[in-house]
Amino acid sequence: MPVASVSSTFVLDNGACSLKAGYSSWSSPNVIPNSITKAKSEKRRIFIGNQIDECRDLSSLYFMLPFQKGYLTNWDYQKQIWDYMYGKQCLNVDTPSKNLVFTEPYFNFLSIQEGLSELFFEEYRFKNVFRTHPGDLTCYKNKMEHPEEPCCLVVDSGYSFTHIVPYVDGKRVRNATKRIDVGGKLLTNHLKEIISYRQLHVMDETYVMNACREDCCYVSLDFERDLTKAESRTESRDYVLPDFTNLRRGFMKSPEASNGRPEDSEQIIRMNNERFAVPEILFHPSDIGIQQMGIPETIAHVISECPEETQRWLYQNIVLTGGLAKMPGFRERILKDVRELAPNEFKVIVRLPEDPISYAWQGGAALADDPIFRELSVSKLDYQERGHQACVDKYYL
Amino acid sequence: MSGAGSKRAVRDVNRRVMDQATRQRRARKALESLEQDNFHDDPHADLVMSKKALSLFQDHPEEERKAKRKSRTTEYYKQRFRKNFPQLLEEDAVQNPNPPNYLSAQTLNSLQPARHFCAVCGFSSKYVCVVCGTRYCSRRCQETHEETRCLKWTA
Ligand SMILES: [Zn+2]
Ligand SMILES: [Zn+2]
Repeated sequence: MPVASVSSTFVLDNGACSLKAGYSSWSSPNVIPNSITKAKSEKRRIFIGNQIDECRDLSSLYFMLPFQKGYLTNWDYQKQIWDYMYGKQCLNVDTPSKNLVFTEPYFNFLSIQEGLSELFFEEYRFKNVFRTHPGDLTCYKNKMEHPEEPCCLVVDSGYSFTHIVPYVDGKRVRNATKRIDVGGKLLTNHLKEIISYRQLHVMDETYVMNACREDCCYVSLDFERDLTKAESRTESRDYVLPDFTNLRRGFMKSPEASNGRPEDSEQIIRMNNERFAVPEILFHPSDIGIQQMGIPETIAHVISECPEETQRWLYQNIVLTGGLAKMPGFRERILKDVRELAPNEFKVIVRLPEDPISYAWQGGAALADDPIFRELSVSKLDYQERGHQACVDKYYL
Repeated sequence: MSGAGSKRAVRDVNRRVMDQATRQRRARKALESLEQDNFHDDPHADLVMSKKALSLFQDHPEEERKAKRKSRTTEYYKQRFRKNFPQLLEEDAVQNPNPPNYLSAQTLNSLQPARHFCAVCGFSSKYVCVVCGTRYCSRRCQETHEETRCLKWTA
């Protein structure tokens, strides 16, 4: 009964910035902000998750986030958001009759894992729960699309950080997995900081400036060249800030219209070298004083830590996932830099899924239909008998 | 030399060079601030009601669930698991001391040479502020730097 089994599993890719949530039978997930928001214009209420769509004035939003540095620390926020998401107002999930596929961060802390077990089995009372990482689901999905590839290297670049995760025969190589402490949050905060110093005070406008980053920023293929070129402002663009009366989201003006002069009541900021210097931090964290390798250097290092006979296969199946993978030029730059670092005789192939944000979720949805799902998951009965130890024994986290 | 130049000369007399420890502290603070969720205060902080409403909000989202059994309050979960990030790290050092773990997963220091950019305009920089070590690219950016961020650090 494929239909019945399909609708019985709920897949939740639980990111620090957004929840990718939906039944495994769906073709794509709902993407719901994983935050509670307060607006200065609406003092009588708070906005949970995607309720923020109901808020008219999105200026100076105040965010209450469940995650700190990529790990779940504010449980009261997370529980309110989950309660809302499973509830009638949002997706209306009858959790006690469902299975759950859930992602958590790599190297998650023990007390967080225990807390999750308690919530899933005692509070939401799911039937069977499989817990994994976004990279594992990405690898699973990649294997469906490229069954001939024995290995896969996942570059998971999200809100809190970036992980480079190698898989050999579908199994994560835990001790070669590496983290770069640069993600979307840091990029947006850095953009806010430099724009506030150079042009206009936008420190309180995280929401607006995050959109600005998404709309304007790209990854340079040749940073030194582009930086020199930018001195003549050829890639400079005017970004029109939203006023929340006529304009709900800002936009970037065309090259011809980007003359630095706002029209009528517009408020603009000029995005010049910021457009590519901000994403460049992913490739050179040392540009802002983080003494870490960037993505290409870390990829080469991670592969060098894997068994020698797997290295050629890892180089030829690099998969990009997470929100930052959508940045223009991201794939091309990684390919160019890794090509330079990889041994000449190896092929380098870098794959960018059509939707890198929902790709891990897609993997989870497919896995839910795989007969192996039952074997991988912990049932409520297991948990009632053995507690969190049942989870420790079952999951490869 | 123009007026601005002589003004700077006067100011330089009052200026002491920032020591290495202070420079490092300032750099660390700048990085830490990039982790912040909000830079302004809670816009509802002055509302007594909203705080209460928040903790009670959505405790019992579904009537039938409430009827079947007592749902735990969000306050319970807040107290039961609340640990901040430094506490989690400390705990992990005891419970999970052998790599791989969070600490060991951090990537290595880059082997590539550091690049230097003007703190004011973002373009390549050749010069360093003698007072605080900040980079700048030109006379114009140097003046901006001295009149804004550098001043905060002089006596
Ligand atoms: Zn400059
Ligand atoms: Zn200075």
